[in-house]
Amino acid sequence: MFHNSSQRKHWTFNSEDELEQCRCDANQKFRKKTVESGKPVVSDSLILERHEEDVLFRHYERRLMDFCNAFKPVMPKSVVGTAIMYFRRFYLNNSIMEYHPRIIMLTCAYLSCKVDEFNVSSSQFGGNLLQETPAGQERVLEQILEYELLLIQQLNFHLVVHNPYRPMEGLLIDIKTRYPTLENPETLRKNADDFLTQATMTDAGLLFTPSQIALTAILNSATRAGLSIESYLTECLGLKDKETLSKTYESMRRMKNLLKRYGLPKSDEVNVYKQKLERIHVEFGTSSNNKRKRGYEEDGHVSKEPRLTEEYFTDEDLL
Amino acid sequence: MEQYSILGRVGEGAHGIVFKAKHIETGETVALKKVALRRLEDGIPNQALREIKALQEIEDNQHVVKLKDVFPHGTGFVLVFEFMLSDLSEVIRNSERPLTPAQVKGYMMMLLKGVAFLHHNNIMHRDLKPANLLIGSSGHLKIADFGLARLFSERGDRLYSHQVATRWYRAPELLYGARKYDEGVDLWAVGCIFGELLNSSPLFPGENDIEQLCCVLRVLGTPTQESWPEIVELPDYNKITFKENPPIPLEEIVPDTCPQAVHLLYKFLVYPSRQRCSARQALLHPYFFSSPLPAHHSELPIPQRGGRPPRQRLQAPPTDFSVDLPLQNSVVDPVLLRGHASCL
Repeated sequence: MFHNSSQRKHWTFNSEDELEQCRCDANQKFRKKTVESGKPVVSDSLILERHEEDVLFRHYERRLMDFCNAFKPVMPKSVVGTAIMYFRRFYLNNSIMEYHPRIIMLTCAYLSCKVDEFNVSSSQFGGNLLQETPAGQERVLEQILEYELLLIQQLNFHLVVHNPYRPMEGLLIDIKTRYPTLENPETLRKNADDFLTQATMTDAGLLFTPSQIALTAILNSATRAGLSIESYLTECLGLKDKETLSKTYESMRRMKNLLKRYGLPKSDEVNVYKQKLERIHVEFGTSSNNKRKRGYEEDGHVSKEPRLTEEYFTDEDLL
Repeated sequence: MEQYSILGRVGEGAHGIVFKAKHIETGETVALKKVALRRLEDGIPNQALREIKALQEIEDNQHVVKLKDVFPHGTGFVLVFEFMLSDLSEVIRNSERPLTPAQVKGYMMMLLKGVAFLHHNNIMHRDLKPANLLIGSSGHLKIADFGLARLFSERGDRLYSHQVATRWYRAPELLYGARKYDEGVDLWAVGCIFGELLNSSPLFPGENDIEQLCCVLRVLGTPTQESWPEIVELPDYNKITFKENPPIPLEEIVPDTCPQAVHLLYKFLVYPSRQRCSARQALLHPYFFSSPLPAHHSELPIPQRGGRPPRQRLQAPPTDFSVDLPLQNSVVDPVLLRGHASCL
């Protein structure tokens, strides 16, 4: 149930400002680290600004979406939604300069498959990395496994993501059974679906409940079809008093604004910032965490290096 | 990890060692389950993910073990549970005499409350068995080991693995290879556990999957399209046929058992999953409201872990409260209180 969920308790935020603050903090944290690393800082301009990070974030998020949509066997929507939500949650508190989004996005997809019980073996998953040679796939898989623990930690072990797809089904069923005023509710589905897809690529999932998002999707779809179903809110959903109703409209308006503002990053911008990002990872990629791999090559992923052994939880702990 | 001091080793779980430890700040005793990630082909095991998923999203319940914390450690992570002294399989194995009817009732009530809570939260456990029902020092029973637990949806369009549940407690549809099933698999297991509590020995102790089916069929009778219409849709139906035999009355399977207990047992041990009595409904069965009433948790045996001789609580059953006594015997005479309470 959403009400008891870790999503409601820990991953639903009050405002966009609060989210932006988290991301700025993550950016600052990385800046501080580069200074503390004592490396001769080439220049401060090497570091990505917040808005530059954001461009790249959206670029990799898009790539994650494309990867999931092209996945074979076909990935259920909820798995895709969960993967993207993981990606957003991860980079709320971490900078892309610290952990490269190229590998984190794949790790998110991999973990999401497992958590959502979309059972694919690791080799099946690797087979979907189409640009890679078999040896390359092997390498990427190894990295995914390496980052999996980091990811699950950064998610604070909160694994269950409530997507708006099921609430939307529920609302459609409800409209069909209790709101005969609307003649053919199924016609709303197409646009509502598109709305939900767009919403996953915004902060909507970090600000609103899944049912709010689903309801907005349906109302938005109705408006676009020239239908007015506002009476559904008052008559069927019991939003009778003015205050609740205006609050609902207010959050719908905020959500629609989020979607409106979304734009795919421009490719020339992406290319410039990408070069910067690669350079940062070459310079600092290892300083922040010596467990991590060095030597990111452009789109060729990381060179192989044996996993470092670490302390284990053995009987020695008993002493 | 620094927050805990390790007290000892409790056992080996499905995905790692379990330690008994003390939370230094609060002094609370906990069980630490370490999930190591080395040499695992597919990374973090599904079982560990399921356990975290199931337990993190539900509110506290008296009869479900509590996941207190999860934290990274070394190359893996640690699940922190409340510490439980023992489990029901040890209770059944170690009690010197068979459990009394009141005690069986007490355990069944706690088990059903836990199962009802899980099903209400859309979680099917899929591996209920005495060894997964932990017993705390206060005698409370709590459902544990959510390594196979799944969130289920009413839409029923997802396929599940049939290789779940420990064999003796595995529902017949699973034995026939069902990939679509529901929380009824837990209710079958509840029935098996009920029978085991009554008899102090497992109801269907099959040595392998085929024999398991034989055990069940011997007691319930060979299924027919009438007694079990859905059977024709199961993958392994027709792969194997058994000699026809009629069902054996459960009264003979659990001898010396009160008729109400047998009646309830019949409600769990039926072929069609949909016909099995839900946990919530079962709690309203007359069995729980007739004499002897379910034992209070303080009247239940608490064996020590590690096979030490069981410490039976020597506690006389309370005599001053009984449903048969006249009411005035149980009520305090107000005259006696007058000197101590001004309002009287």
